[in-house]
Amino acid sequence: MSARSLSICHLFPEALNLYGDGGNILTLAKRLEWRGIEARVQEVSLTERPHFADFDLVFIGGGSDREQRIVCERLLAQKSELKAFAADGGALLAVCGGYQLLGHSYAMGEETLEGLGLIDLTTDRGSPRLIGNIAITSEICEHPIVGYENHGGRTHLGPGVKPLGKVAFGHGNDGKSGEEGAISGTILGTYIHGPLLPKNPGVADWVLARALEHRYGASELEPLDDSVELAANSVMYERLMRGEERE
Amino acid sequence: MGPRAAISKTAGRATSRLLRLLGRNASQLPGRVALALDPKLLQGLAGSLSEGAIVVCGTNGKTTTTNVLARAAQQAGFSVDCNWRGANMLAGITSAMLFDKGADWAVMEADELSCVHVLPQLAPRWLVLLNLFRDQLDRAGEIDHVQDSLVEALASSPSTGLIVCGDDPLSVGVARRAAEGGTRILAFGIDEELPPPPDRVPEARFCQVCGAELGYAWRAYAQLGDFSCPACDFARPPLSFKARGISVTSEGVSFDVMDGDGAPLTTIKAGFGGMYMVYNLLGAFAAASVMGVSPEAFSRALAGYDPKNGRLEHYRLGEREIVLNLAKNPTGFNQNISLMLADERPKAAFFVINDDYNDGKDISWIWDVDFERLAEEASAGRLRVVAGGHRAHDVQVRMKYAGMEAPIARTVAEAVAALEAEEGAKSGDPEPLYALCNYSALWPAKAELDREAEAL
Repeated sequence: MSARSLSICHLFPEALNLYGDGGNILTLAKRLEWRGIEARVQEVSLTERPHFADFDLVFIGGGSDREQRIVCERLLAQKSELKAFAADGGALLAVCGGYQLLGHSYAMGEETLEGLGLIDLTTDRGSPRLIGNIAITSEICEHPIVGYENHGGRTHLGPGVKPLGKVAFGHGNDGKSGEEGAISGTILGTYIHGPLLPKNPGVADWVLARALEHRYGASELEPLDDSVELAANSVMYERLMRGEERE
Repeated sequence: MGPRAAISKTAGRATSRLLRLLGRNASQLPGRVALALDPKLLQGLAGSLSEGAIVVCGTNGKTTTTNVLARAAQQAGFSVDCNWRGANMLAGITSAMLFDKGADWAVMEADELSCVHVLPQLAPRWLVLLNLFRDQLDRAGEIDHVQDSLVEALASSPSTGLIVCGDDPLSVGVARRAAEGGTRILAFGIDEELPPPPDRVPEARFCQVCGAELGYAWRAYAQLGDFSCPACDFARPPLSFKARGISVTSEGVSFDVMDGDGAPLTTIKAGFGGMYMVYNLLGAFAAASVMGVSPEAFSRALAGYDPKNGRLEHYRLGEREIVLNLAKNPTGFNQNISLMLADERPKAAFFVINDDYNDGKDISWIWDVDFERLAEEASAGRLRVVAGGHRAHDVQVRMKYAGMEAPIARTVAEAVAALEAEEGAKSGDPEPLYALCNYSALWPAKAELDREAEAL
């Protein structure tokens, strides 16, 4: 096969960099590189206007409240372009604050702000913040997904919207439903950082497979030796399941 | 001091004696016991200081700066109460003053979020704010919250002035708001152009006032440098203590200090540390100056400085040199990486990360550390890495994605064994091992080295 490449858009890294988000981009790039696929990562700053149609994968990370507000205002101006990108099968991964932006609305302090409306979900606020290690089981990958969550928002999925997975340890979307994250077509949103992808190679490959489909119409990914990643995953999963951590 | 305070002090002292008798750590509990009986005890204890108190805070460098400053005050002939070991919350500071016999000064480090409890009681003459970096997000919350808390602390103690690192936009953001409330400000910083640092600006890229992206004439590391906002008047303040002629090598740091008009005050030399140490020592010198400590006394304090507190301690284990240091957040790690790369010998690193409550349960910040800077040395066979701590497997994954293979070890001895297993029968001196540990990982490593290795 001739040399393949994917274009990855890292949105506003100067503002959305709260929880080691660079690690997600690094993981995507390395896992392509190890398979002989070129990763063309473009960092898009707040002063630029990204041309979403050029990309196969868009990543939105988490930021502080102040930064998230700036980012959302910025993205609302390109709402229809982002919608078209997702409708065209582009892969969109959104973590934490980025996840909240995907819905119809989200709350900040006493205010309710308009979201991007890419998935049928809404986010309001609750107390206390939901903070701590988290583990979920998901249909998109064989191994549990482990990481860390830290959010004041409570996210409610609309009828028919599939969660990313079921909470085995921790809080998830709202601390009550037993559900975490959301998946809609080629869009994946989650509160799990830590960051998300390095220790959950199945999630990384799910996102990369969607991006490959978008570019080449085929999603087969050559298997990699993930023993180091999966060891870290299972050490943490077992520690949580043994009850050594407060929930 | 009233009867309540007297009883609480007696109870605290008795607790301390009992703990010492049992060979236990007495840096927190005595203060906690005493404060339970009299929550305002620290205020009473502070009243007997003949000169007053200085409090040092900031994400990185508190313990070293406080120790240097307290030693300098002693060299100048003052008697000093100090929380030498870094117990820096209200209980720790109270514990450090329970046995006060009318000291001249209290020189205390305080946790950033504890200042709001400590300042109203201790009413220090000055608060030294060294820097603010992202650290322990799950406990401290966002940096905005830490800043708000410091502004509130200063508002609660109107007699306290602020000695601030003028090169740190986040600290200057605090100073600007405190000044609006009437706080006196003295700024220290570097007054010469520095070569571009290898790291990126991890936080505080935006103006504290208007949100525009800050510009830099030059940068020292992280967000520290000669910053200014292109859109408003937020910029580095005038400096009252300026460092020039800076030299940072693997042998340590040296620089000249000038006053605000550029008149020379002293030359500072220390056989340890990197660029971050220039700021720590400059901050300590600024505080020493306002305390009336002479530059000569300050130099004497530095010359004999050997705190044995796990910060940049050197050991020999068999034939191998071991360098132990604390690294607990991205900025601290990046500074340690600079320090390691300044050592021209082939070397090894043991990265030890725990996730106890005191460390912060969330270790996602290890992905913000620029470990990629080590990859070139590693691929040239001049650097090897070993992963350790409760989160050793996460460190191992981080190393893999930075292009390095790291075996896992539980102790320094195991790390050395892992290196030697790879070396086989290689001849020559073994490479030095840098053991870089976060907070709760530091003490077991230090205890092991104190027991098994020879201190250098």
